[in-house]
Amino acid sequence: MSAARNRTPFDAGRAVYLAVNALLVAFLLAPIAVILVFALNPTPYISFPPVGVTWRWFDKFFSGADFMNALWLSLWIAACVLVLSILIGGASALALARGNLPGRAWLTAFFMSPLMLPAILTGLALFQSYLLAGLGRPVWGLIIGHTLVAVPYVIRTTLAVLHNFDRRIEEAAAVLGAGPIRVFFEVTLPLIRPGVFAGGVFAFIVSFDQFPVSLFLVQPNGETLPVVLFNYMKFDLDGAIAAASTVSILMALSVVLILEKLIGLKAYVKL
Amino acid sequence: MRDLPRRPLRAAPDLRHHRKVIASRPTPVAWLIAPAALLFVLFFVLPFAVMATMSFFSHNPVSNPNAVLTFRHYQRFIDDSAGIFHEALLSTLRIGLITTAIALAIGYPLAHWMARMQSRLGHALLLMAVIAPMLTGIVVRTFAWMTLLQDKGVVNTLLISWGFTEKPLPLMYNEFGTVVALVHIYVPFMVLTLTGVIGRIDERLEQAARSLGASRARTFLEVTLPLSVPGILAGSLLVFALSISAYVTPSLMGGTSVLTLPMLIAQQVGTSFNPGFAGALGVILLTVSLAIVVAYNRILARLSGQGNLA
Repeated sequence: MSAARNRTPFDAGRAVYLAVNALLVAFLLAPIAVILVFALNPTPYISFPPVGVTWRWFDKFFSGADFMNALWLSLWIAACVLVLSILIGGASALALARGNLPGRAWLTAFFMSPLMLPAILTGLALFQSYLLAGLGRPVWGLIIGHTLVAVPYVIRTTLAVLHNFDRRIEEAAAVLGAGPIRVFFEVTLPLIRPGVFAGGVFAFIVSFDQFPVSLFLVQPNGETLPVVLFNYMKFDLDGAIAAASTVSILMALSVVLILEKLIGLKAYVKL
Repeated sequence: MRDLPRRPLRAAPDLRHHRKVIASRPTPVAWLIAPAALLFVLFFVLPFAVMATMSFFSHNPVSNPNAVLTFRHYQRFIDDSAGIFHEALLSTLRIGLITTAIALAIGYPLAHWMARMQSRLGHALLLMAVIAPMLTGIVVRTFAWMTLLQDKGVVNTLLISWGFTEKPLPLMYNEFGTVVALVHIYVPFMVLTLTGVIGRIDERLEQAARSLGASRARTFLEVTLPLSVPGILAGSLLVFALSISAYVTPSLMGGTSVLTLPMLIAQQVGTSFNPGFAGALGVILLTVSLAIVVAYNRILARLSGQGNLA
C-alpha cells in the first residue's frame, strides 16, 4: 500500500500531515533550544536576538553558593531516592507480577496513584503530618516524599520487563536443581535488572526536578535546586537561570540516552 | 463499530497467562509488597487522612488545647465572602479543560505519526523528541516559556521586527500564557498514552476499509478514530488531572491575574499560615482528582483486559 502511495507524484494530504507533525515537533523542542541560546547570551537580562557568546552565566551558576548548595542537596536527595525506590519499587513489582496477590489490578492502580494525584497535596499532607508529629522539616521526610512519586516509575518499568519475560527460564533452572534463592539471584534478577535500573534512572530525574512535593517540605535554608530557581525566577530572569536549566536539560538528555540503552524507550509507549 | 475486536487480531493468545488461573493463592513472593505497602500506608494514606482530619479542626489539635471540631473551613469556601475561592476553582477547571483539549488536538497527530512510523530510527528520534522535554523539569520548561512569551521575549521581538504588531502582545501573565506552557508540559503524556492505543489498532482494519473504497479521511473518521477513543479518554483524563494540579506554571506564567486552587493552597500555607483551610482546599482538589483517577483506571482496565497497568 505504501509502495503504491510512493509512486504517486505528489500526495497533498500526506504533505500536510507531515508538515503539521514537523511543526508540532518544533513546538516541543523549540523552547528547550531557546534556553541554550539564553544561557550563552551575554546581555544582563533576557533579550532576543542574542548578541554574542559568553560563559559568564555558567560562571555565575557554578560559583554561586546558593545555587551550588541547592545543586548538591538535590543530587544527594536524588541519589537516596534512586536507591530507595529501586529497592521498594523493584520488590513490589515482583510481588505484583509473581505473588498471586488478590486484587492485583487494584493494588497496581493504588501504587501508581501518586503520579496522578496532585503532587502538591502529597507535599501538603506530609507537611501537615510532620507538623502534627512535631518532626519539623527533616531531610529524610523530603526524601520519603520524593520516593513516593518515584516508586511508581520503578514499578512500571520493572513490570514492563517482567511482562515480557518467559517464566519457563526460571522453571528450567528449578528443574535443573537450583533452589528458589539461587533461581532468583542467577536468573530472575539479571533478567529484570534493566527494567529496575531504567526505573531508577527515572526516579533520579523525577527527584532531581521535583518541585510540588518539595514546596512545603524544604527547610528555609536548605532548599533544593528547583525551589531555589523558582524563587529566583519570581524576581529575576537572567542567564543564570538559563545556565542552571541547561544543566538540567543535559541531565534529561543523558537520561533519555541511558533509558534507550537499558530497555529501549519503547517501553514507555504503554499506559 | 461495536463488532470490531477490542484487541489486535495479530496478537496470538498468550498461554503464559493461563497459569495464573490455576494457582490462585498468594506465593511467598507476595511478601515483597511489604516495604511499599508500609511506605504508602505510613507516608501516603495516613498523611492524606491527617490532612482531611485537620480540615475539620479549628486549630492544630495536638498543640492547641482549644481546638474544636468544626465545618468552618468548608463554610468559608462555600460562603466565599471575598469572592475569590469559587473563581479559583472555576479557573482551575477551565484551565484544565482548555489545556486538555489543546493537548489532545496537538497530541493526536504526533501519536498517530509515531504509531505508524515505519522507520526504526525515525521512531526512536520522535520518541526522544517527546520524552526529552518530559524529563526536563517543570521549573525549567516554565522558564523557557517566560523567555518566549514575555514583552521582550522571543515571540514579541520577532512579531515586532516582522511588522505584525507595534506594541508587544500580552502573551504572558494571563491565562493564555499559562495554558500555552501547560500544554507544552503535558502534551508528552497525551502522546505516549495515545501512541500505545493507536499502535494496537490492527492496521488491516484500515487497509480493509481503504480497499473497500473508503477515502483516507473516511477511514480515519470511521475506523481509526473510534478505535482510539479509549486512548483519547485515558490521555485526556491524565492531562486534565495533571493540569489542575499544576502550581509552578500558573504562578509564574499567570502572574497576578491567574489564581488556581493549588496556588490558593500554597498561599494558605505560606503567607496566611492556615493549614486547616489549606487542608479543606486540599480535600476539595483531592476529591476532583480521585474521581478522575477512578475513571482513568476503569478505562485502562478495560483497555488491557486484565487491568494490567504495566
